[in-house]
Amino acid sequence: MFGIMIQKINVPVSVSLSYNSKKRRVFPKWVVWNGRFYPIIKVGLHHSYKKGRVLFHVFSVASKTLFFRLILNTETLHWKLEEISDGLPD
Amino acid sequence: MVYQTNLCFNPESPTVMHIDLNSCFATVEQQANPHLRGKPVAVVAYTSPGGCILAPSVEAKRLGVGVGMRVRDGKQICPGLIILPTDPWKYRSVHLSLRRILSDYTNNLTPKSIDEFVLNLKGYPSMSKGMMGIGKEIKERIRQEVGEWITVSVGISSNYFLAKLASSLHKPDGLDEISKNNYNNIYRRLNLSDLSGIKFRNTTRLNSVGIFSVLDFYNAPLWKLKAAFKSITGYYWYLRLRGWEIDDFESVRKSYGNSYALPKALITPEELSPILTKLVEKMGFRLRQAGYRAKGVHLGVSYRDWSFWHKGVSFPRALYDSREIYKKAFRLMYMSPYKKPVRELAVSTFGLLKSKNSQLELFYNVEKNENLVEACDEINERWGNYTLTPAKMFLSDKSYVPDRIAFGGVKELEEFTITK
Repeated sequence: MFGIMIQKINVPVSVSLSYNSKKRRVFPKWVVWNGRFYPIIKVGLHHSYKKGRVLFHVFSVASKTLFFRLILNTETLHWKLEEISDGLPD
Repeated sequence: MVYQTNLCFNPESPTVMHIDLNSCFATVEQQANPHLRGKPVAVVAYTSPGGCILAPSVEAKRLGVGVGMRVRDGKQICPGLIILPTDPWKYRSVHLSLRRILSDYTNNLTPKSIDEFVLNLKGYPSMSKGMMGIGKEIKERIRQEVGEWITVSVGISSNYFLAKLASSLHKPDGLDEISKNNYNNIYRRLNLSDLSGIKFRNTTRLNSVGIFSVLDFYNAPLWKLKAAFKSITGYYWYLRLRGWEIDDFESVRKSYGNSYALPKALITPEELSPILTKLVEKMGFRLRQAGYRAKGVHLGVSYRDWSFWHKGVSFPRALYDSREIYKKAFRLMYMSPYKKPVRELAVSTFGLLKSKNSQLELFYNVEKNENLVEACDEINERWGNYTLTPAKMFLSDKSYVPDRIAFGGVKELEEFTITK
């Protein structure tokens, strides 16, 4: 199989979400995964989708070295880390 | 029909704008993941070596990676190529964001596909900024409001066809106009195959009457174009190239269908049955959600030796229940004279009727059955697709018939609503 160095993981993670009322922007500030703290330096894209009646928010974000796909389940308000990658081909 | 044979280029100021999201899927992936920016990326249907490349990034295109190439060939040309699977909701979300921005300028907005829009600004107050001014503003707003990596090519002209042609002149991130003032210079620089709709066969037709360049095409008298195309198409080209509108019709939905390219070769109807069930379930749900019934079922089978068989049948009674549709489609599958490994299976319903009530029957409780179907649909809507499914479907691999973006049309986007 060819592919980018993507790891599909789907594990619960701790995320800090911040809201700026002046800019009306919501963005994750940091994520803790595998006992390590990763400050988010860039939100690439935010989108949403529905599975049944549950709305999920997807934040595609980057730390200095890694990419994280973070999913917020709006019914439980729990976060999951669905994917990480380093942006390099394998 | 009266043919006007002495038309010059449309003298009106251009009001049509074509907007094309550059390398759509790959650009959106690069927007989402900043670590991919500036790198050759390809979004693919399947990540396996035989998978098809759907969208190479601008960087990958520069290295020779093209749409439709196999992953293994793309990797051979560009060993550093980053391969990504599709993420349909990401692209739908960007499409809807673009649609929101563009609808600030006109109500006459037509999405042509997931990555293409046409706007007609004639008579709208936004026209006071000028077409080029609006084009620049839209580009800037997309960068600010959707993402700084997202670029669009904007084409402006007096009809849909030339606006699309203008958007293809400078990719990526172009902004061009074709009008009565510059069409001659632009046509001079183009080849016949640069025109959308003119590929090998039409080029041959045009060559047969002595047309070898776009300027020849423009200057050709109508009788010559009629001789080349042997139909009214010649007149349509006569109007298109002169900037008169001929393509502003809106297509209507005539069918609902789903298809699936099989990762492994299956042969018998029994082996294919679980996949057919899933395709029919997905299609039937979409059909009912849109408030339709269907009077016909069509099955298409592509084989691994690249041969193709298909058959469609109409019925006196409109179908509503996926199980009924499945039975008809399964019977069709048995009619195929071939027993060969299948490459792709496609099922569709046609003869759509927008009707709430169905014909009652003497020996069959139609209403009771429809209530059951509606109850199942509600459960699937509440808890997610395939929560309730026919038992047959469990025989298929869970990954079969994944969510996909339809190319060349946005009818599927009618089915999605997003609140942001």
